[in-house]
Amino acid sequence: MVRRSFPSPFIILTLLACFIPVFFISGCEKKPEETVTTVRFVTWKPNQPEVWDEIVALFENENPDVKIERETGPHSSTAFHDLLTQKLKNRSRDVDVFFMDVIWPSEFAAAGWAMPLGELFPVSERSAFLDGAILANTYDGKIYGVPLFVDSGVLYYRTDLLKKYGFSPPETWERMVDQAASIVAGEKKEGTGIYGFSGQFKQYEGLVCNMMEYILSNNGRMIDPVTGKSDLMEKASIGAVRFVRDRIIGNVAPRGVLTYQEPESLDVFIQGKAVFHRNWPYAWEVSNNPGRSAVAGKVGISRLPHFPGGESHSTLGGWQLGISSYSENKEAAWKFVKFLSSERVQKIIAVKSGKAPTRKILYGDREVIQANPHFAGMRDVFATAYPRPRSPLYPAISNILQRYFSKAISDPGSDLEKEAEAASEEINRIVALGR
Amino acid sequence: MKLNLQTRERIFAASLIVPCFLFVSVFAFYPILYSFYLSLHRIILTLPALGQKFVWFQNYRQLFQDRIALHSLTNTLIFVFSSTFFELIFGLVIAMVINRHFRGWGVVRAAVLVPWAIPTVVSSQMWRFIFNDKYGLLNYIAFGSDVASYKAWLADPLYAFLAVIAADVWKTSSFAGLLILAGLQTIPDELYESARIDGANAWQQFWRITLPLLRPALLIALLFRTMDAFRVFDLVFVMTQGGPADSTNVLQFYGYKKIFAEGLMGYGSTISVLVFLITFVIAILYIRMIGSGLIQEKT
Repeated sequence: MVRRSFPSPFIILTLLACFIPVFFISGCEKKPEETVTTVRFVTWKPNQPEVWDEIVALFENENPDVKIERETGPHSSTAFHDLLTQKLKNRSRDVDVFFMDVIWPSEFAAAGWAMPLGELFPVSERSAFLDGAILANTYDGKIYGVPLFVDSGVLYYRTDLLKKYGFSPPETWERMVDQAASIVAGEKKEGTGIYGFSGQFKQYEGLVCNMMEYILSNNGRMIDPVTGKSDLMEKASIGAVRFVRDRIIGNVAPRGVLTYQEPESLDVFIQGKAVFHRNWPYAWEVSNNPGRSAVAGKVGISRLPHFPGGESHSTLGGWQLGISSYSENKEAAWKFVKFLSSERVQKIIAVKSGKAPTRKILYGDREVIQANPHFAGMRDVFATAYPRPRSPLYPAISNILQRYFSKAISDPGSDLEKEAEAASEEINRIVALGR
Repeated sequence: MKLNLQTRERIFAASLIVPCFLFVSVFAFYPILYSFYLSLHRIILTLPALGQKFVWFQNYRQLFQDRIALHSLTNTLIFVFSSTFFELIFGLVIAMVINRHFRGWGVVRAAVLVPWAIPTVVSSQMWRFIFNDKYGLLNYIAFGSDVASYKAWLADPLYAFLAVIAADVWKTSSFAGLLILAGLQTIPDELYESARIDGANAWQQFWRITLPLLRPALLIALLFRTMDAFRVFDLVFVMTQGGPADSTNVLQFYGYKKIFAEGLMGYGSTISVLVFLITFVIAILYIRMIGSGLIQEKT
């Protein structure tokens, strides 16, 4: 017993001693003197990875002193936000350049995560970009990001089916629902199963984008832009939500849309299972790609419908490039951001992956329009797309909105006034935190 | 220098305990205490100008008035009770089956453990596909090629909640089964032998011998499963994101949203502390029950 007890502390020490050198070796590992600066770019998984490979290769060719290291995050904006903010919260040096969804600049600016671009991106430069996209990157009078491409909700439809039944693209939601219903009924008689409409109604950020378009096009509002208080209780807002609940979900759209984000809802459309489809501009390229879509060549695009007496409104989406305040390579990072947002690269992105550019001039570019004929008629839609509330507390507000909308439209018997009131109270409480 | 036996033994004991103690302190005590510390503050990451204000128990007061927190607490409780209940029943069945020796016993035993060995994120994806409204296996089994009557299970608040429970039961019943199996194997065969001689049928043997002697093992399985079920997060994160209509929102997911998405560190920590306290109380209750159960057995 006694003998056994003695060596044990030594054994433990020896074991520890074995591990200590490992720490030292890895900690003191000397990096070779580098003349090449590495810029770490946090990006998401793109729809066309080959386009991004091409762009990065082009940059590295022209700038041999800068190497781009890409870290690919999740495709979903919400999941990407969690990953990125986690790094920024910890002041990680692994981030130099990052993508920002259109709703984040206020938050990233207030938190001190995104570097103000000030003189690097002067007002004279900014005027070449779409106004709405610049506004989205401005917080408290300073600019924190360079918009790379914009998104805005548009309506896709099946040109063949509309023609067959003698319809023209619907101006109002009411008309869209009626057209959809008669096409579905007509096709059913011929033995073809098809739904009227697909969109994004899962409890996530996209739900807010979809619902905002209905509310705005009924002359309603989610949030008062001046006071930041909730306007969900207004008759117009509630009326729009009621329309979605009673006429869209489970009627022209299958109940499954309550679980759909963009990819699932687009699948329904490109498999030829929906007459109408609400999505962002990227869906044009996908749905007309014969390799992926069963309806290539039979797809039309138009402005979103509106309610009688209202105007068509699209939600502004899109992605910006920001530079981390904690980056050690700000100069090289800016070089890369400037390159990406240049006219030349935006054109590549527009032509090859169908993203709507942020530089106004490209809407007059022959090649861009040739690849995306719909851009010509859609310029106004992109230029006037409506931003979601700009607030550093937007994530909290959005979660309340998502919960309210999901509750309101999932349950056909929901008490909309009561739910809207509760959501409004919660929003106003959150807004008060920032005052 | 000569130390007496007792001192040497003490040094030996301490040297064995210290590493473990350090490990637990760094990875368990410190985070718990720090969460508690954070929960007494108002910290909003996206509004650094507000600073870190000490607010006593204001976050806790707010928590008990927060209808979404209470709703997700209710959801969590229903989830814990129903999933643990079914897991114990299925676990008992699994344990009884693999306790018998039959042809192909090894294969069955290995197969039973497969669900438990798959990472939860992967199995949650699998269940999301099974419940899919267009190509889901469940729809195919229920309706075959009658595509028109396919149901969007995860779009319905009630079915979505049941789906999450089903996925959890499928995944962890085998773990409960394994714990119960350990208990089963400690029951001596002589008891069954004498029961048979006394003319007891299988049913009587189960109720009079197996179940009473399994009590400690069942309690341990219950303890593990309850505490684990309270921490449910990944299933919800992958399968439903808390929707539809917030029907599958559970406390841990709500806390995660508060901290990671909304940057409300103080309030989010309050939710974590609440989850900790609930599991802690349950653990103490169970340990008391198990403790008394073991003592009864020995005397």
